[in-house]
Formats: sequence, C-alpha cells, structure tokens
Amino acid sequence: MEIKEQYKKTFLYDEHLKCGAKMVPFEGWLMPVQYEGIIKEHNATRQSAGLFDVSHMGEVYVKGKESLEYLQSIVPQDVSVLKEGCALYCQLTNKKGGLIDDLIIYNVKNIEIEADYFIVVNASRVDVDVPFMKNEAVKFDVEICNKSNDLSMLALQGINSKYIIEKMGVDRKNQPGFFNIKKVKLDGVSVLLTRTGYTGEDGFEIVFENKYALQLWNKILSFKTEFFVVPVGLGARDTLRLEAGLPLYGHELNEEYTPLESSLGYFIPADKKEDYNGKELILAQKLKQKPLRRKLFAFVMEDKQIARNGYEVFIDNQPVGVVTSGAPSPTLGKNIGFCMIEFENLSKNLVTRLNNPQESLGMIIQVMVRNKLYNAKLTKKPFIKKRYEK
Amino acid sequence: MNAPDGILCAKTHEWVLEEDNNAVIGLTDWAVEQLGDVVFVELPEIGSVFSKDEVFATIESVKAASEIYMPVAGEVLEVNEQLINSPELINEDPYAAWLIKVKPSNFQEDTIGLMEYNDYKEEVE
Repeated sequence: MEIKEQYKKTFLYDEHLKCGAKMVPFEGWLMPVQYEGIIKEHNATRQSAGLFDVSHMGEVYVKGKESLEYLQSIVPQDVSVLKEGCALYCQLTNKKGGLIDDLIIYNVKNIEIEADYFIVVNASRVDVDVPFMKNEAVKFDVEICNKSNDLSMLALQGINSKYIIEKMGVDRKNQPGFFNIKKVKLDGVSVLLTRTGYTGEDGFEIVFENKYALQLWNKILSFKTEFFVVPVGLGARDTLRLEAGLPLYGHELNEEYTPLESSLGYFIPADKKEDYNGKELILAQKLKQKPLRRKLFAFVMEDKQIARNGYEVFIDNQPVGVVTSGAPSPTLGKNIGFCMIEFENLSKNLVTRLNNPQESLGMIIQVMVRNKLYNAKLTKKPFIKKRYEK
Repeated sequence: MNAPDGILCAKTHEWVLEEDNNAVIGLTDWAVEQLGDVVFVELPEIGSVFSKDEVFATIESVKAASEIYMPVAGEVLEVNEQLINSPELINEDPYAAWLIKVKPSNFQEDTIGLMEYNDYKEEVE
C-alpha cells in the first residue's frame, strides 16, 4: 500500500511498526489497526491488559473566570456538579439538539496545569470542535487552548492495569478512582492519570508531553511477561467498545441525532437550569413531551451472518433504518451491533412498542446481508457486564 | 508459507490448482494475512455455476467482509464444509483450507491471465 505523506503520525509510529502493526489511515492519521490479531488483542484486554496509542485523540484546555458558565452553555450536562479531580461524560450539541461530538470533561482546578477544565474529544472531530468551542467562547471570560499537537495519550485497559501502574510508581491507594483524574509521576514522568477508558474494563488513560511517548510505551510493554500486557490496535478497540455498548462518533452519533435518539438519555439531566445549545428539543425529548424521531438499538444476530455499518434494517419486511456498527463479539461468540431505526414512516403502534423497553427488548428485526434478510434480536446494552473498579 | 506446486494466482488473490481435471480454489496467504482473523465464510451451493471473475463466496474477518472471485469459470462440485464451523482454518493454512472444487468450463483460456505463485508474490510485495 502506498502511504501518502499527508497522514499524521503519532510519536509512536516507529514503535508500532516494531511491534508488527498493520498501519491504516484513520481520520487523517496513520494508526495501527492490529498487531498480532484482533481477537488475541481483544481477549488480552478482557483477560489481562491491553495498551492503546490514542495520541490521535484531541485535548482541549479551558481556562478563565467563566469556565463553568461557558461549559454549562455548550453541553446538556450539569457541569456544576463536577467536583475537582473528577470526570463527566458529556456531549457537545448544536442549536438543533444534534451531536457535534461526545467528550469527557475533567475538572482540574485542583491540579497544577494551565487549565480549569481538561477536555478529551474525538480525533475525527477536533477540527470541528475547536472552532465551534472558540466561537461559543466569545461571550465568556474564558480561553480555549487546543493542546492536541502537544500531548500524547495512552490507554492501558484491563484487570492487570492497576498492577502495572503500581510498578511504575503509583501505588494502588494513590491511583485515581473510577472517573477521577490525578497528576502523578509515572516512571518519573509527570502525567495526567485518569481512571477512564473505552473498553468496559477497569483501566487508565495517561496524558503527557509528546517527548515521553517512547519511554512510557516501552516501559508498559516491558511488563509483558509479568502482567501479560499487549499492544492493541483500532480493530480490537472497536470490538471492545461495541461489546461495552459505547457509541462511536460518526456511527451512533452525528449532527442530526439528538442524545436521546442516540440512547444517551441516561446522561441528560432533566433539571439543569442553565440554557445550552439545543436544550428545547433535548429536554422535551427527555421529558417525553416531544417524540423521538428515531432511536438507537442494540442487537444480536440470530444467524451466523455479520451485520456491518450501513446495512439496511427491516421490521416485517419493511425498511426501517440502518446498522451503525456491527462486528463479531469475541467475548460472546455472537455477532452484535447497533442500529438506528427511523420512526417517521412507521405505524403508531410499532413506534409505541419500540419506545417501550418491555416490548422492544427481544423484538425480532431483520438485517439485509448481501441481498438476503437475516434475523436479529433487539437487546439491552451493554452486551457484556462492565468491570469497572468503583 | 508453503504454496503447493502448480498453483496459479489471480490479481484478486484467489489461487486455483488443477486436480484430476477439476479445479480447486482458495485464497492466497498474502490475502489471508491482510484480512486477519477469519470469522465467517459464506460458500456457494453445490451445483451452482459461475463465470470467471464472478463473486462466489464471502469471507468475513473481524473488521470487514471481502468478496471472493472465480479465477476460472465452472460448476461447483464440492465446498469445504469444515470452514463453516472452523473458519480459522483459513488463517492456519490457506492452501490446505481450500474453498471450493469446480468442474471448469474453459480452464485453458481462463488461466491465461493468472500468475505463477512466485510472480504473484513479487506483484503483491
């Protein structure tokens, strides 16, 4: 494959090649899709530990007297409840209530960095998010700083992660708790250490200056024989997040879908006082005063066929939507996925049934695979039990 | 990887081997390496007839579905049933894990554009 120069490389590009990675273009970056094999990497993360280079993700610092007021105006969540040293899963919404991105906001007021809030955004959306966030910031005494080019990021996920972090200088009692962030010395390097991830496993994300990428990557992988940690590529990252029921921007989330339609209603407060972009529709959908126009569902294929992104979905032979993500689940040995069902042309009765979890769970749908329909069953997400240490 | 003597390879990464006047068809080791873990194989029905370059099977890896093309035209005589329950055999040895056996309709002419294994390897690497 000819690789064009315009792709960005993380500071670990050469290390990936040394580990035998197959590199692929991903959102403007050349990233490892797999090393030894997706299933091996997937299982290692579930059983011991997996190390991911997620340096392509975007990092944004928010600083200023009105940081809180500013954030309150751009996400549906109530950021005022976010305590120092803690993280909150949020969405950036547009005026129509659609999703510009999903992100994690960390309150870092207690931490010595040049920010009040630290935000991690999707690689695919940095170039949309940052101009949007800067534009929204003009009304506030606040400064937005895109740190994406200065910082590298690793994710260490799986049950053995905590032992590796301990060996690198942060003992168990000093490690951040679930969805917390701390500034620590890891292998002598000053890093932001968070107890977050995208796999459904206990684990950490580690943010630091680019120049330490090699040192930390190789140090973590040096625990291969002791804690069975392996490098994991984007292929297994996708199957891991899918099993954990976590959405991916551009698949389950986009500028047309509201958080409620993308099944993120759980994260939307009904009682937030402050105004935010798209509040009218999002809140009305939350309070069931306005109908959902569509809804995201999780499904398990009943046949051996694999549903893939973009495949058409049917109910009683009528086209009703599309698969947004689909893959074999190495943990379950079944083929799983998400689909977006559009309500616009459906009978009232069917929409009512779909909106009622007691009726929709277990409902049979069909997925068109190579011009044939195959049965799938709507199910609860996540597909597996998450194993966070809280 | 030991490719059997006498196989011919297509640009679309299928191999074909003449055996008792029939043709055995599979996927090359290079293609399998690119696919990664094979998790599902959809094979045609016995008796179905395909022309050269027509899609006759689909191989799914964790990441994606790939269509497999006929290197030579013919009627399907046999499919490798083992692959239905053990698709990973393709990863283990893509030459032992053949996909289908066909009765070719025009073997000599259809194989004109195919490459010997060594030439194929040079082409893809």
